[in-house]
Amino acid sequence: MAKKTTKLKARRAIKRVVPAAKTATKAPREKAASRRATDESQVAVAESLRGKYVYCVIQSADSLKFGAAGIGDNGSEIHTVHYRDLAAVVSDVPLGILDSTRENVLAHERVNEIVMRDHTVIPMSFGTIFKTRDDIVQLLRSAYDAFGDVLSKMRDKMEFGLKVLWDRDSIVKDIEDEDEGIHRLKNEIALQKGSTYFARMQYGRAIDAALQSRSERYGSEILDRLRDVAVASRINKPIGDKMIMNAAFLVSRDQEAAFDMRVKSIAAEHEKLTFKYTGPWPPYNFVNIRLKLERV
Amino acid sequence: MAVERAAGGSSLIDVLDRVLDKGIVIDAWVRVSLVGIDLITVEARVVVASIDTYLKYSEAVGQSVPVARPALESRPYDELAAENQALRAELSSAAGSRQAVARRRRPGA
Repeated sequence: MAKKTTKLKARRAIKRVVPAAKTATKAPREKAASRRATDESQVAVAESLRGKYVYCVIQSADSLKFGAAGIGDNGSEIHTVHYRDLAAVVSDVPLGILDSTRENVLAHERVNEIVMRDHTVIPMSFGTIFKTRDDIVQLLRSAYDAFGDVLSKMRDKMEFGLKVLWDRDSIVKDIEDEDEGIHRLKNEIALQKGSTYFARMQYGRAIDAALQSRSERYGSEILDRLRDVAVASRINKPIGDKMIMNAAFLVSRDQEAAFDMRVKSIAAEHEKLTFKYTGPWPPYNFVNIRLKLERV
Repeated sequence: MAVERAAGGSSLIDVLDRVLDKGIVIDAWVRVSLVGIDLITVEARVVVASIDTYLKYSEAVGQSVPVARPALESRPYDELAAENQALRAELSSAAGSRQAVARRRRPGA
């Protein structure tokens, strides 16, 4: 029994304490005498350690609180860590690697949305935990210029998502009715005796080309209609074969209402299309800051 | 069709589409390290590898490259691969020696 528990503890210690090269190279001799004690205290330390999860970076010299909405079971308190006029929005979490579960990912987004109500944010990607407050100050200090520059570019702007989908079959039917060549091909296939292989190939290719050009036409028409109410746009790859457009728009706060109205009127004009309109989002699609670790 | 705006957090797919690799991104190895390495001692520091903002309005659908995949660094692939391998070796040797410690002590426990 005793054997079992020690084994378990040792395993946990390995899992939770990330092996830094330093610890590993410590002479085993040194450890041997008090090995058990060290291991147990290590487990205790690992379990009591709390790290700080970072949600986003904002501009603020004053320390702020955003309520108990953080990642974790009890909703830890959202607070800020500062360097000069920059602040990281953080909450305490157990030290370790955080799984991207539904709850955790949604909590990350929820906190960003709360902060966004009154601040311009640069969102952090999911899952970054620092050991201490000082480590975060260090992060803010080393990326101070980058963060400051991006924050000023994103000031008072929000992201909106717009996905456009269609019912492929009903569009194909429209094309068959409207396009003379395709219409004729279809009739040929229906009437032809013997092999229709060649005609069917031709038909398939013609349909694909017509669908492609139709989806591009819809796409550029929608983009054109939104141009004067948005600052920037990004086109992502459509997901699945029903989606013809997967776009994100960066919109000034003072144009939010105009953008909103425009999207709604575009949607109203297109009976055949389905619109999925989301936001406001932190400007995820318009900022990409990559950080790496450098040994000193 | 009539459309209503849905709050960002209402669709998990839309959230995942954004939070995993956009915004401020710290690469996976660093994420693991941050929890273990003390930044404030002199072991390591965070540096900015690249900054990109996208403030243009797209001209047409289908012209732009996938989002958030800018050229990472100008360093050649070979160099990165070698560094990656060295780091992996370091990690596994560290983990290995810990396991060895655990294994050795079992009989005596």
